[in-house]
Amino acid sequence: MPDGSIPILVLSTAALFASIAGFIIYFIVLYRNRQLKNKQEQEHLQSIFRQEVLKARIEMQEQTLAHVSREIHDNITQVLSFVKLDLAMIGNADEKQKQIKINESRELIAQAINDLKDLSKSLSFEHISKLGLLKTIEMEVNRLNKSGIVKAEITTDGEISSLGEQRELVLFRIFQEAVNNMLKHSGATHFKIGLQYYPELFNLTLEDDGAGFSSEMFGKSDGAGLRNMENRAGLIGAIANINSNPGKGCIIKVSLNPLQQQLYIDEDHSNSIG
Amino acid sequence: MAIIEFFYWLLLLIVSGIGTMRYKKLTLPFKVLTCSVLIVFLFNISAKVYSIRYKSNAPILQMECIAEYIFYSLVYYYLFKNKQIKKAILASVLIIFIFFIINAIFLQPFFRVFPTNVYLPTQILFAIFSLLLFKQMLLYPLKVNIVKQGVFWYNTAILVYATTMFLNLGLANYYVAHHINDYSLYYFWYFSLYLFHVFIGVSLFTDNKEIITTYA
Repeated sequence: MPDGSIPILVLSTAALFASIAGFIIYFIVLYRNRQLKNKQEQEHLQSIFRQEVLKARIEMQEQTLAHVSREIHDNITQVLSFVKLDLAMIGNADEKQKQIKINESRELIAQAINDLKDLSKSLSFEHISKLGLLKTIEMEVNRLNKSGIVKAEITTDGEISSLGEQRELVLFRIFQEAVNNMLKHSGATHFKIGLQYYPELFNLTLEDDGAGFSSEMFGKSDGAGLRNMENRAGLIGAIANINSNPGKGCIIKVSLNPLQQQLYIDEDHSNSIG
Repeated sequence: MAIIEFFYWLLLLIVSGIGTMRYKKLTLPFKVLTCSVLIVFLFNISAKVYSIRYKSNAPILQMECIAEYIFYSLVYYYLFKNKQIKKAILASVLIIFIFFIINAIFLQPFFRVFPTNVYLPTQILFAIFSLLLFKQMLLYPLKVNIVKQGVFWYNTAILVYATTMFLNLGLANYYVAHHINDYSLYYFWYFSLYLFHVFIGVSLFTDNKEIITTYA
């Protein structure tokens, strides 16, 4: 065996293996740091998402309670006051009039009972989880049509399927925000709601024929609700497009891929508070 | 048959056995890897038979060289996400294949010489693919512990194999040029192959298609 060949081999091999081992160890440390960083980012997003879901639920409850309070004040108390008045007048009336007043009171009480039944249904805050997005929106549409302020219609396309409780809750809050804006500011007479369910795409389209607004509104404090809709849509991996021009109504379109996973939403389903 | 060769065959058999037994659980690139280990095993047996019968196993080693490049590149093709890198891998396979034919006809005759001219560029390409895949792993880290990821072990195997084989061939050329007749290089060659297939075995043992999609 010639002199010098073994040291060359040993030295070069040792140097090579030392550098490969050093590289691999460095890579493992770097990889571990990346994993930790991503984990922290994911936890942060999860925490923001939980807060938003909680906020959405509280807002939904507040809105429902406000509606119930308005209904009791404007409708049921009025009806019961009529009944009280009718019954007070019975004492001086003849038999025929007494019968008319009693029948009238009976009808009014029946109406009050029906209204109370509707109210008790709307007091359940778990509509979304029990009924799903479509049914909950349909109930809201019925309520809007009953009010007579606006003529609302709902259309669906594709095979209806659940988008997940938290996604549906956020979508419903976007819908409620849009309805509130329409009722408060637009003066619209027609309101169209479209739900499109495709395998890789869900669209919620809300269209009114109200006063509309300019794009500058987004920058002002009045546009906070609109920005809120966009932010909330982003949290569930959806995109909200808001198109409006003065005098030309408003179209809000929320698009979502139901198959796309958002780890901070789908991983932990225990973030329900109710 | 030298004992070192026997253990190498045994190792190939164990590694291909691991791949075959876990075949259904493996992701597509590791299924390809299992096939490549089986083919390398068959090539080794054929090389032995051929060398006994014809006193030279050069044609088998020539074919093994190009087959290894195609298979390991194919594994990388499936592991990379970047479309440009995928295209580059396919282009490299085509270029190496053309070069292999030219080399076998004009430079290192197919029936007589071991194709070092093909081995050298392929080892460089493997080292580049390996470093690029390490970069991709850093960009898209998985939740799973790195030592439980088949990709990590495969990539480490290729990096170790490519660099040690490169050193091996370099030293072999040096020894030939200086008329040094030393068996230690032969053992080093086998040591590299052992190490490579042990890592490949671990990669086939750890790969699992159920954990591949969960990003951290």
